[in-house]
Amino acid sequence: MKWELEKEIKLPTAALGLSTLPHSESLLVSCFDGSVLRVDPRESTWETLGHHQSYASGVVSVLDGSMAVSAGYDGVLQWHHLGSGKTVAVEKIHDFWSWQLKASPNGRLVASVTGQYLCGGERYEPAQEKEPSIKVFDAQTQSMVAQISHLPPVLSVAFSPDSRFLAAANMMGDIRVWNLKEQRLECSWNTPDFTSWGVIKSHHYIGGIFDVCFSPGGEHLLVCGMGPMRDPMAGNGKQTWQRFDWRRETPEKVGEIKDGDRGRGLMETLSWHPDGKVFAMAGRMAQGSWNMALFDAQEGSLIQGMDNKTRITRSAFSPEGTQLFLTGSKSQGEPKEGKWSEFGRLMIYQPVPSDEKTPPSEASEES
Amino acid sequence: MHRRRFLQGMGSGLGASMFSWSGLMTPKVFAEIAKKQQKRCILLWLCGAPSQFETWDPKPGRITSGPFGSIPTKLPGVHFSELMPQCASIADQLAIIRSMKTEPTEHFQAIDLLNRGAAPRPPFVRPTLGSVLGEQLGQLESPIPNFILLDPCPEGNEFKSFKAGNWAGWLGAEYGPVRLGGPYKIPDVHQLADITSEDHEEREALRKFFSRKFENERSSAAAASQNAAFERVRGLMSCADLFDLERLPQKDRERYGQGTFGQHTLLARHLVENGAPFVMVANGMPWDCHVFQHEIYQMLVPDLDNIIFQLITDLKDRDMLDNTLVVMMGEFGRTPWLNASRGRDHYSHAWSLAMAGCGIQRGVVVGATDADGIEVAENPFNERNLFATIFTALGIDPYQAYDLPGLPTFHRVEKEAQPIREMLS
Repeated sequence: MKWELEKEIKLPTAALGLSTLPHSESLLVSCFDGSVLRVDPRESTWETLGHHQSYASGVVSVLDGSMAVSAGYDGVLQWHHLGSGKTVAVEKIHDFWSWQLKASPNGRLVASVTGQYLCGGERYEPAQEKEPSIKVFDAQTQSMVAQISHLPPVLSVAFSPDSRFLAAANMMGDIRVWNLKEQRLECSWNTPDFTSWGVIKSHHYIGGIFDVCFSPGGEHLLVCGMGPMRDPMAGNGKQTWQRFDWRRETPEKVGEIKDGDRGRGLMETLSWHPDGKVFAMAGRMAQGSWNMALFDAQEGSLIQGMDNKTRITRSAFSPEGTQLFLTGSKSQGEPKEGKWSEFGRLMIYQPVPSDEKTPPSEASEES
Repeated sequence: MHRRRFLQGMGSGLGASMFSWSGLMTPKVFAEIAKKQQKRCILLWLCGAPSQFETWDPKPGRITSGPFGSIPTKLPGVHFSELMPQCASIADQLAIIRSMKTEPTEHFQAIDLLNRGAAPRPPFVRPTLGSVLGEQLGQLESPIPNFILLDPCPEGNEFKSFKAGNWAGWLGAEYGPVRLGGPYKIPDVHQLADITSEDHEEREALRKFFSRKFENERSSAAAASQNAAFERVRGLMSCADLFDLERLPQKDRERYGQGTFGQHTLLARHLVENGAPFVMVANGMPWDCHVFQHEIYQMLVPDLDNIIFQLITDLKDRDMLDNTLVVMMGEFGRTPWLNASRGRDHYSHAWSLAMAGCGIQRGVVVGATDADGIEVAENPFNERNLFATIFTALGIDPYQAYDLPGLPTFHRVEKEAQPIREMLS
């Protein structure tokens, strides 16, 4: 079975956040221009649910698909009622960006992570946090139920399948897991394989863990990003995922992308197929042959890599596992005759038998 | 007053005054006055080229704005990036050019252009700004180097190539920079314990005698350069403590931030305070953010914001701002549009820089770009206008002719390019 591009929808600006809805074929997408959209992929149309004052970095659905929650680089959390299409609550929750927003699998909690990278030492080590880096909200009451400390910037967050545990990771490769019910730190460890310190050009840190997710059984934590670079501006670290058994007394790496399977470029998103046998990782390709790939969950080996010449930011399988959705962006490009290009993308992949190939309804277009 | 002229003056007419004002106008007092009146320059070299959108020329609400907002400044109607609140609070001390328009779009050529003020015309090698100002404002016999480059990052890609180049051009190696960085202190400049001062002087006299003899007999530029280097090392030995950051108050070090760029800027302030005429502070080329633009700028710009604020405030508080020109610039700007990695690429078509201090009008914004920051909308200025402004602000003739054997006549600033009048006080 091969996955192929079924449809590509152009959006006015880069698409950052993405969420499926449990009882609908519509998708939630958040964008650079601050807009939070409900997209009908069949019609390639959308309606605007809300608007942030800066990039809308994340959007999730909660309460069995009745509400959408969005967060942005304005540090604001917005609650949108999907029945009426209206924004029902707006709250400033961070002094800095919301880097990532996730909903718990039971749809009752949302977590947003923040933190500004500020110079904290001679080597430009990140300064300690000025506000709690992680905030968790009750979806029903919209009230904050936990605020948790970490070393900023905290780039990624995930709930365990049973919604009891929360994991978050930062630019320096520090991963922490908390027991939400008992409000205690469960474990903490570091992986140095995602962070760069500029040997040439720039003496500072960059990179980090851009996405985390629990395995379907909850026993493992999967993280992604890219490997260290000598030049932190190059964007050419090795495409990387690692898998950790976080339940051991000392969390241990139990899997990693194979060297022969990977090229170079930042990987920003992970998602599990509902059958638990396959996971997808996607981002940007600097060198190599793919920017989006499917991996065998058991073996960790590459099943299929695809290059859609797009910087992918979020990914999600449909609840039935028959589609894979990706959001991202092309190059913005300079305006032509005073008009800016539509550089946001929503891409829909579907599996087809190996001997059957269907052309995409809208040709992939490289800006 | 020019330090050299002032000191020359001290040796003649002012000498008499020294006696009549003895006790008050002691040599130490004269030295302090001379230091304060000496014109100096600090160049914060933002290598790699910072984005104008995230610093001096934000475009809030436009598609080119990026994720950061803008904030009002002390100047009515003028906004800076929200990442620069401290600079916004001293905008009345700054002068901003928002309409720089230059040609080269690659680092090496642009670094060369913005350091020399004109494109190359081989075989003539135009001295860099630091070498010209070192020659014009400094004294060759001064133990403090006339051109100090503080840069802790030796591997700066294109900047590394430039750093290995000929900074002083036709002026000669003695006007090239003394380059320091990293651990801040100058290594190996302390006299060895088993050598007496007499021994040291005698050895130096012998070395000088033979090398001058060689230099004279062979007309050797290499020997002249080597002599200059020895003289410089001897000078450094006498003032090595000035380069020791640990001797500066801890409070000052904390104020400038913990990163090397901040610490080096503090060192630059300390050096000009003690007579250095020109200090250039660089930090590799961190501003070249083709990827991770906003992820890096969230750290770099607040760091720069604080550094500029501390420096300008310190110079003002020490009555040094009127005689110290501070220039804050890179080699070009960044594109209004984002590339596929969501970074900004090189853009020389419309970009910004800032100046403050000696000879510069306070609280002005000169030139403008269009709504999206794509084109210069008002008063385009190029590198020649910029250099004419810098020289004029420091009281240096911008158009002095360079008549060199076998070459056409060159000028300090070519084509009689005009200084930016609105920038001058």
